[in-house]
Amino acid sequence: MNATPGQAPVKSIMPKWVRNPQDFVGGIAMMGIAVFALWASSDLQGMRGFSFGAGTAPRMFATLLLGLGAAITAVGVLTEGQHLAKYHWRGPLFVTLSIVSFALTIRSMGMIFSALTSFLIAACGSPETRWMETVIVGVCLTAFCALLFPYALGLPLQLLPTFMIR
Amino acid sequence: MGDIFSNLSLGFGVVFQFVQWTPAFLGGTSIPIPVNILLCLIGALVGTLVGVLPGIGTIATVAMLLPITFGLPPVGALIMLAGIYYGAQYGGSTTSILVNIPGEAGSVVTALDGFQMAKQGRAGPALAIAAIGSFFAGCVATVLIAILGAPLTKLALAFGPAEYFSLMVLGLIFAVVLAKGSVLKAIAMIVLGLLLSMVGSDIETGASRMAFNIPELADGLGFATLAMGLFGFAEIIRNLDAGGESDRQLVQQKVSGLMPTARDLRDSAPAVGRGTVLGSILGILPGGGAVIASFAAYTLEKKISKTPQKFGRGAIQGVAAPESANNAAAQTSFIPLLTLGIPPNAVMALMVGAMTIHGIVPGPQVMQKQPDLVWGMIASMWVGNLMLLVINLPLVGIWVRLLRVPYRLMFPSIVIFCSIGIYSVNNAPTDVIIAGVFGLVGYWLIKHDFEPAPLLLGMVLGPLMEENLRRALLISRGDWSVFLTRPLSAVLMAIAAGLLVLTVLPTLRKKRDEVFVESEN
Amino acid sequence: MNWYGRSLAGGCLAAIAGLALLSAPAQAQTYPTRNITMIVPFAAGGPTDVIARIVTGHMAQTLGQTIIIENVVGAGGTTATTRAARAANDGYTLITGHMGTHAASVPLYPKLAYHPEKDFEPVGLLAGTPILILARKDLPPKDLKEFIAYVKANETKVNAAHAGVGSVSNVSCELLNSVLGVKPIGVPFNGTGPAMNALVAGQVDYMCDQIVNAVPQINGGTIKAYAVATAERNPSLPDVPTTTEAGLPAFQAQAWNAIFAPKGTPPDVVAKLNAAVIKALDDEAVRKRLLELGSVIPASADRTPAALGTLVKNEIAKWTPVLKPVN
Repeated sequence: MNATPGQAPVKSIMPKWVRNPQDFVGGIAMMGIAVFALWASSDLQGMRGFSFGAGTAPRMFATLLLGLGAAITAVGVLTEGQHLAKYHWRGPLFVTLSIVSFALTIRSMGMIFSALTSFLIAACGSPETRWMETVIVGVCLTAFCALLFPYALGLPLQLLPTFMIR
Repeated sequence: MGDIFSNLSLGFGVVFQFVQWTPAFLGGTSIPIPVNILLCLIGALVGTLVGVLPGIGTIATVAMLLPITFGLPPVGALIMLAGIYYGAQYGGSTTSILVNIPGEAGSVVTALDGFQMAKQGRAGPALAIAAIGSFFAGCVATVLIAILGAPLTKLALAFGPAEYFSLMVLGLIFAVVLAKGSVLKAIAMIVLGLLLSMVGSDIETGASRMAFNIPELADGLGFATLAMGLFGFAEIIRNLDAGGESDRQLVQQKVSGLMPTARDLRDSAPAVGRGTVLGSILGILPGGGAVIASFAAYTLEKKISKTPQKFGRGAIQGVAAPESANNAAAQTSFIPLLTLGIPPNAVMALMVGAMTIHGIVPGPQVMQKQPDLVWGMIASMWVGNLMLLVINLPLVGIWVRLLRVPYRLMFPSIVIFCSIGIYSVNNAPTDVIIAGVFGLVGYWLIKHDFEPAPLLLGMVLGPLMEENLRRALLISRGDWSVFLTRPLSAVLMAIAAGLLVLTVLPTLRKKRDEVFVESEN
Repeated sequence: MNWYGRSLAGGCLAAIAGLALLSAPAQAQTYPTRNITMIVPFAAGGPTDVIARIVTGHMAQTLGQTIIIENVVGAGGTTATTRAARAANDGYTLITGHMGTHAASVPLYPKLAYHPEKDFEPVGLLAGTPILILARKDLPPKDLKEFIAYVKANETKVNAAHAGVGSVSNVSCELLNSVLGVKPIGVPFNGTGPAMNALVAGQVDYMCDQIVNAVPQINGGTIKAYAVATAERNPSLPDVPTTTEAGLPAFQAQAWNAIFAPKGTPPDVVAKLNAAVIKALDDEAVRKRLLELGSVIPASADRTPAALGTLVKNEIAKWTPVLKPVN
């Protein structure tokens, strides 16, 4: 078992017979998605005489994915392979928070507020962020977007919070 | 032949039309202004600048900029729109190469090798070869439209649902070839993409499928939304990992040479030629031929290359071929519009909208009734391509400098641009959240060595394949043999089967190139 | 600061200055005091979008404010209509609805999040677009009578194309089929363009579609038209008989576009908007462009909010027995 260079090997939580944990877990996840899709499409109509129903194709592909997931899991057991990669929490957390914050505030608070807030939240995702320059770039970027999208491109984007317009 | 020259000269006459401008401050002196050239230039420039914004693909760019052409005279408006279209397409490729965020299906393939080249400090040559390849393809396709436009229309009409289904099957095989790692995992990604494309409403019954009563899912997952998540956001999240950071620094240190070397040009010339031919043919097919043009070209290059293992690791042919094919297809996809008056894809439908707003409804007689419009547009395509070359070769330097922005400032900016881009396509906040979710999914996929590119291609091909299959079966009343009894369809199926054997056999024999071995040990 | 920050810094000052101007407090003057958003539930460049842009372009002059078109696509226009139904009822958010969003959607989507009558104030009818019965050019029947007989005799063999569930071509073809008492195979396409392509290529037998897209194809001889489903012949196709003339008076269908405001919008605001619509419809340039599209401009009596309300009621009653729910 050789770990990827540059990444610290993770202590294995996998049983010994799983020789390729990356594929093993990946395959199981694919099977999970397939089962979920089968459940989600179970209420749809199947074949209607010679023509496809709404549910035919989704169930067909879900079944296929189930089989492929099983095959990948099998590869995970039968072949030597890579360890599970190490996950980091900081980047994913703040980038996701930033995106969610943008989506939640854009319609009520307008673009200036949302873009700047999201920019600052996203910046928290990297330990290298220097706050002074981040704030300056954030403000400039927001101003640039505020001019570009509604004015230069004429998009119906609201700039200011709703309570300030009404 | 004489006809073609007179037609082309009519077209160029329209494009090079001068309008006398007599401003008051010059006291009666009039200046000739080449209005249509200027419109084309502005269109190409604005198209490039908007298309380059991550999160905004070609269709979104054209839709967004469409209203600014409404105030212009019809010919000028269409010439400007054509400029916007090419600009947007080229801008999208730029984003794919620089930050690995494809805005449309065609650029997914460009991102594969283009971004790798950028990582190796060769963003300049990648961008330049994309511009040069596109220009060459554009020139050839323009001539092709002028000479063979009318007869080629027959091909568009010969393609029925059965043929399209077979073409999409072929497209799926191309998607397998794209993968650089395990074939099994690539197929799983394609099927996952197909499954995701099923979300939304069923074409025949309108029933809502796997949409969980979320109104924004009623029409399915948007391609741009998914691409932004799986490529854009996922890439950022991964780069924020400790391992990714050293990767980034590498990019910033190694920027070498802005222009392609003589060797680069020699390597990519045949790829450009083959890409142009493939793209020109596929572009004529209205039901999604242009979609598979770029990956057909990529697959071809990878299959005939003596060093297929270089593909996906920064092969210049992997940029040159799909970019040429893409641009050639973009060009020839005008043929059904100009000869039949039927828009073959979403962008062309927007063009028709622009025409109707000017009171021109294109039909089969548009070439006879509005020759100045048709030939003006054909000539402007060539001019538009020239503009792109003129605009973009100097811009290469600026784009490459953009890579030197410290990543700590770059990544929040990309997040914001992507968010605004996704939101503005449909003014839907939910789309932004969906992209965020797929960012996390993409991060997980990277960690498990699954490639997102086949997933996206499955996502694009899924609806085309299912819909055409169902249409074909409805028309044949459930007779599956149509796919083999109709000659064009049978040929496509045979090519697909052959390609599948060629792709799968080596892996079965465990003799696939070193790439596969690498991922196996 | 690196060059990236520097290059933005210049624009920064200009932006702040511009924003300060924008945020000047709105005065309590007469409506409208700021930009109006017009939601169009279909893509830019589509028939509804084109009509909306032509009319609102003139309305903006009358009202003295910019009307911003916001194209929101999805689910046959119901996504956008839901959003409009929930918007503030102050007259600053309007929607250009059509036959599908404000009538056919009621029977098609039982779980619809809005009701065209209960959640909207009718403002004014913009234009009607006649529906044509079209067929591939080599279909044997020569006129509508023969066509009816042909379809009835070949019910299991003919294919009818449509542009997707809930589209105008789909619902009007359902009406035609129910009038004829036939249930042919309906082949769905993604939009009018691909459906028309299939008809021109002869892959399907017939379809119903709005006049806009079909006129040049009919004139070019690539498809043929049996009848127009309105009371009068259309000036852009003077040779095509009406369904009444050709012997099928029961088939009457028109795709109409109209402006609606969220329920509870003040009556004086609605009246002002309606006056702007009427003024636009009387404008020579607007009329010319609408007629070029093959549209029918509503008569004076049909332009009031009350008339639009009645139209919506009648249309819902007309489509409900014909269309079956999609879910």
